[in-house]
Order: sequence, then C-alpha cells, then structure tokens
Amino acid sequence: MKNSSKKWIKISSVTTAAVFFILILYWQNMKPDVAIIENIPGMDKPSGEIIQKIESIKIGEKFEKLTEETSSLNSAWSAFRGTDRKNIATSTISINENWDAKPPKLVWKAKMGEGHAAPAIWKGIAYILDYDEVKKEDVLRSFNIETGKELWRRSYKVHLKRNHGMSRTVPAVTEKFIVTLGPRGHVMCMERTSGNLLWVIDIEKEYESEIPFWYTGQCPLIDNETAIIATGGKNLLIAVDCNTGKILWQSPNEKKWKMSHSSVMPMIFEDVKMYVYAAVGGLCGIEAEGENAGKILFEITDFSPQVVAPSPVQLDKSRIFITAGYGAGSAVITIKKSDTNFLAKTEKKFTPGAGAASEQQTPVMINGFMYIIMPKDAGAMKNQFICFHPSDCGKAVWSSGKKDRYGLGPYMVINDKFLILNDDGTLTMLKVSDKNFIKITERKLFEGQDAWGPLAFADGYLLLRDSKNLFCFDLK
Amino acid sequence: MDRRKFLKTGFQAAAFISIASVGGYLAHQTLNDELVWQIDPYKCTQCGRCADSCVLSQSAVKCVHVYKMCGYCDLCGGYFVPQAKELNTGAENQLCPTKALKRTFVEKPYYKYEIDEALCIGCAKCVKGCEAFGNGSLHLQVVQSICKNCNQCSIAKVCPSDAFVRVPTNKAYLLKSGWKG
Repeated sequence: MKNSSKKWIKISSVTTAAVFFILILYWQNMKPDVAIIENIPGMDKPSGEIIQKIESIKIGEKFEKLTEETSSLNSAWSAFRGTDRKNIATSTISINENWDAKPPKLVWKAKMGEGHAAPAIWKGIAYILDYDEVKKEDVLRSFNIETGKELWRRSYKVHLKRNHGMSRTVPAVTEKFIVTLGPRGHVMCMERTSGNLLWVIDIEKEYESEIPFWYTGQCPLIDNETAIIATGGKNLLIAVDCNTGKILWQSPNEKKWKMSHSSVMPMIFEDVKMYVYAAVGGLCGIEAEGENAGKILFEITDFSPQVVAPSPVQLDKSRIFITAGYGAGSAVITIKKSDTNFLAKTEKKFTPGAGAASEQQTPVMINGFMYIIMPKDAGAMKNQFICFHPSDCGKAVWSSGKKDRYGLGPYMVINDKFLILNDDGTLTMLKVSDKNFIKITERKLFEGQDAWGPLAFADGYLLLRDSKNLFCFDLK
Repeated sequence: MDRRKFLKTGFQAAAFISIASVGGYLAHQTLNDELVWQIDPYKCTQCGRCADSCVLSQSAVKCVHVYKMCGYCDLCGGYFVPQAKELNTGAENQLCPTKALKRTFVEKPYYKYEIDEALCIGCAKCVKGCEAFGNGSLHLQVVQSICKNCNQCSIAKVCPSDAFVRVPTNKAYLLKSGWKG
C-alpha cells in the first residue's frame, strides 16, 4: 500500500473517531424531549403535616338490655374455628342432606355493620362483635339462635372508616367469660350471662401496637380461663387472667414483629404445649404452661409476608403449615427439640401455583389430610378446593376441578361433611374424602356479597354471613 | 287569525312535529344500531396482548378504575408488585411500567389511585394484580375516543378469552358493577 493511502486512512479514521466522540458528547449533554421524573419514595405524601386526632375511647362503656330470654340448647361453637380451633363440629343431631326436597330453612336474619366478623355460640346464644355504622360503635351483640331475638348489647364509641369492611373477629366464649378484640385493638372481657364488664385493654395504646391493614382480624383465645392475645408492639403475646384482668405473662418482642390477621393456635410438639403465632415478621412458638410460660421456644423469619390472614396449622407431630395471600404462597416448617429450646427450620416453600396456599381462610386438617381453597393467583388451581397429604403439600391428592371453584368464603366440617360458603351466598356440601371430590348438594342461600366471615355451627343451626347480614339456617 | 288559518297553521305544526319525531327516532335507532368494540371485564384474563396488538402505536385499550368498588387501600395489589419491600412510590415497588397509575395520600388509611390515560398502554399488569389480590376494581376498557373501531379488531383476533365484544354506542363501556346491595 502506498504511503499516501496509509496517511489518508489514518486521517479519515481519526476524523471519524473525533466526529463520533463529538456526537456522543452532544448526545450526553442534550436534554431529553420529555422530562424524566424519578420514581422515589415519598411522592404520595401530603404537602402538609398529618394531624392525628387523639380519641378518648371508653372501652365497653355502654350496656343495653333488650330481651329477657333463655335457651335450652346445650352445644357450643365457642370461638374462631370452634372450641379446639380445628374447624370441625361433631353433632349428634342428624344433618339434612337432601336440599332439593328440604332446603336449609332460614330461621332468622339480622342486619350487621359492613364487615366479616362472625359469631361464637354458647348454649343457644350467639355472640358477635359488630360495628354500628350509625352510632360509630363497636358493639357486642347476643342473639338467641332459635328465635333470633337480640338479648343485650355492650358497646363503646370508636371511629372507624370503611375499609373493605370494619369488623372481622370472632369472640372467645366460655361458661363464665366472653373476650372480644375490636377492629382497633380494644379488648373487652365480660361475664357471659350478664354482660357485666370485667376488664379492658387498649392494645394500640398500651402495647404501642400497629393495627394491621383493614383492621384487626385476630380472634382471641381463652385457654383455661386465660385470654391469649398477640399484641405485637412492645410485647409479642400476652396472657391475661380472665377473672381479674391481671397480666400473667408477656412475651418479649425484640425483633419488633407486628400484629397480623392470623390467630394464635395452641399446638403440642415433643409433649410441650405452645402457642404458635404467625406475626408480620415471622412465625414463633411460645411456651403455654408452667413457670416458663410466655418464653419464646422458637422463631423463624423465612416466611414473613406483609399480610398474613390464615392461621398456622399443625400438619403432624413435628411440622407446621403456614400460608398467606398476596403472592406469598406457603411454607412447611419443621419443629425439632434442641437441648434447651426448639429449632424451627423451613422444610419447603411453595409459590401459590406450586403448592397448597390460601389467602384468607385457614385450611382444615381431618383424618390426616389437609383441605384448602386455593387463592386467585394459583394459576389453573385458582379457587379450587383441594386435598393434600401433609407429606407433600406440593402435590394435590384431588381437586374440585375447573367447574367447582370457590371464592374467599369460609368452610368447615360437620361430622363427615364439608360445608363451603362461596362469596355470593352459595352453600355447598361435600363428603369428607381423601379419595375424591364428592359433592352432595349445593344451594344459593342468599344474594350475598363478600360472604367471608367464618361459619359457626351448634345444635343443628348454622350461622353464616355476608358483608351486611347475619343469617341463621336450620340444617336439621 | 280566522278559523281557516288557525286550522291550517295547526295542521302544519302537527305535521312538522310528527316528521321531526320520526326523524329523531330513526336517528336514535341508527346510532343505537352502530356497534363498537369493548372488553367484557368478567371475561378478560389480563394476558397483556391488548398492549401490543392494537393497530395504533399506543393501544386504545386503557385501564379504568371503578371507585365505588375500591380505590383506597394502602396496600394496593394493582399498584405494588407482590411482596413489595415497602409500600411507597419507589420505582422498585411499582407494578406499572409507565407510571400511569398514580398514588396520592388522602387521609389515614386512604390513598387515591388514578390512571393517567396518556401514559397507560393497556398492559394489564395492574389489572392482574388487582384481580389477584384485590376485588378487581381496576379493569381494561377500550377508550372509544381513541379507538378506530376497525371492522376486524386486531386485538379481538388474538384475545384468548373472547373478551372483546360488540356493544351499541349508547352503552359503549362495560364497567364492573361493584356493590350489588
């Protein structure tokens, strides 16, 4: 190649590089046609300061006697998921299965404030913590389940804003006591028969607890005349003597876990009784009895979604199933005893479509199998009722199939039958079977909306609700 | 005015009113008979094809919000990615790829969620989130002022759930009804 050609190539290369460099510089310094706005935290905040009104709430301040009536009924559905929190009712009264010939009979209906709170039943009386939208009050209402007559009310003024319903808890009832937990964390303990107020706790104020999104969903537990409440905030769990209101123990909350919608579940591992709680932050087991009551036996943070509504379920002697909605899926946690404590380890985690999961309702364990309604984000299994064996929560034993899907509504077992209430008020009866999905009958009981409150059953009467009404049906 | 003139004027006025009424009725019927494309929100499966199958460079399909159903949660499944680390306006927490869904604080615990139609591309990411974790108050609709109303809608051709339907112009939107009671 001639020298002049080489020189020419050099010059043109340098010139091209220079032009390219200048163009890059120009492009770098050029302002974009459209202003770029960064998405950073805090862009949704108000310009001014938020002024928080301080309310003076006198928990349980009002009492109103409405009717003097007694009931001869004797059974109970004493708390969330029944007396033993398993959601299984055993009834000596025969349940009618032929709904074509004899549909469930509506015994009575009562207007409720918008919400998902459900009743507990004790000896023919149903107790429900409602919200009176006109008076702006949390109100414990009691109904005779045979007649629907309202017996008495205990209430207190508290301002709630509509937030996908207001009320959403189930009271705990014993022969002597009723304990309620209100939407904003107000606890009342009353004498069951008279409604006399025994003691109160303002959890939000006294324990600096953060009330979960859409208000409190946790249902209190009474265990041997002791009320167990997960407070979050300053303490994780507290135990209160129902007779005196005295705090018996308080579990520490060093990790600052928050209150969830999940309820405290008693479980036994290696002969040690513990209260298992799925907080916002993690899962823990708290010693239930003895001199170490209140001590944290295990805690695990592997499964800690922002919202947890279902309660943990004991799968077998050493495993817990925990699930949540909003994309969280589920996890199986193994509990093993170490020298002085217990060790919790995640055995497996499942995304919503890959294994058992639930958004709101707690699954039912019966005859060694787990039954669950899958969440909306479970792909093809969306809203199907599914049976799993605890050995593999990723593999369905059977499913209800494409045609039989259910919503966010509750389900329970009465003897050997499942009852499932769909969001719209359709009640389905299934046979409890670990072999197949066996539908017995189905009927639309009412024109409902968001019928999500847990079911309650006693003495042949089924209590169920939609967002605005409580219904009592005779299933006999 | 004499009697003859009065009757003549009266008949003329009556004839004019009759012709106008018949004309108006026919025009109304014609308008009603004209059909436009719309999405049945109860059939839509939020597949995302509306965003890139429209003949327009930016799809005529946009997200709409039925406020009477929802539109105020702090934790909004339509706004936040599942399991968002924090519930704030940080880009990493948002589902919308174009920032068309705007979140504004109203009062504790309420937030307002508004859709910027100019930015919305109809990708249905927010609709899917709202459907899965909320009550479906966000859903897709064909915006009639943008839609070219093609004889053969290119999105309808690829819609896997037959959610595209023809509706009369006087009922051009199929919004979810919300509360029944």
